[in-house]
Amino acid sequence: MPSEYAALVAALKLLTIPFAEYGWKARPEGAYGVVQLDFEAGSLDGDGAKSDRAWEGSVDVFYPKLTDRDDIIDAVEETLTTVLGNSWSLNSTQYETGTGLFHVEWVFQCQDTPEEPEPEGGGTNGVQTGS
Amino acid sequence: MAYKLEVDGLTEFAEQLGQMADRAPAIASQALYQGAGIMADALREGVKTIKTEKFHYAVFPEVTNRLPTPEEKAIIEAAAAGIAKFKKSGGEIDTSVGFRNAGYAELKGKMVPIPKIVNAINSGTSFMKKQPFVRKSANTATPKVLAAMQKYIEAEFEAIGKEYKASMK
Repeated sequence: MPSEYAALVAALKLLTIPFAEYGWKARPEGAYGVVQLDFEAGSLDGDGAKSDRAWEGSVDVFYPKLTDRDDIIDAVEETLTTVLGNSWSLNSTQYETGTGLFHVEWVFQCQDTPEEPEPEGGGTNGVQTGS
Repeated sequence: MAYKLEVDGLTEFAEQLGQMADRAPAIASQALYQGAGIMADALREGVKTIKTEKFHYAVFPEVTNRLPTPEEKAIIEAAAAGIAKFKKSGGEIDTSVGFRNAGYAELKGKMVPIPKIVNAINSGTSFMKKQPFVRKSANTATPKVLAAMQKYIEAEFEAIGKEYKASMK
């Protein structure tokens, strides 16, 4: 799992509305959210392997009352900005006549930042120590 | 003492550039049409990857992550993704690929707009699982589209250069 995505899920779960990954088994009452990774959006190659991998994912929020809108949307967008910077956008908004829910969808791209390998020589600043 | 600098063939080069400018809009439209064709093909391939399941309508209120029914997939497959009319606005040529003008289809005895069905599958709803096939196929096809358009434009400009040289002989 990309490290940025894990940070986003942790930050979204701190919000006032309940969030789940990859959908709910039973629909909660009131407003709720879903966050998931959709597919791999692209990657850069280096040293014969993938070095920087990027994923595209989405955040969905469903809410029953139009008056909920401002608080929920602002909170989610602020979370996205603090975790991912500006690599997200509002993708679609719709209203479901069957269930009476409003649905807002954001799309984001996140990256897996690999851990920096330790410099050779154990940080002795180029001075070689005999073994 | 004054020096005189002469460059041979500069007027011819200017004429050639002028000819390119006259034919550029037609070449750009043709390149865009070819790129849009590749994108539409990718979208049609994406429609085939939609997963379906038979759905029992009796359990509707509890369902949160159903998949589209085979009938819904068949409607989208029948309404092949099309290329919109080309719009010219201030030197730019725009088009779009998708289901925007796909029209209506009959589903459960009602006439439903096809873009609405595509949107429900692509963005998901509170009772249907999300399958973002449009975003996925656009993501994979965009580099191919750009490469194909660039290749076509470069080939056309090379052909103009050759034509011009042949006409000068």
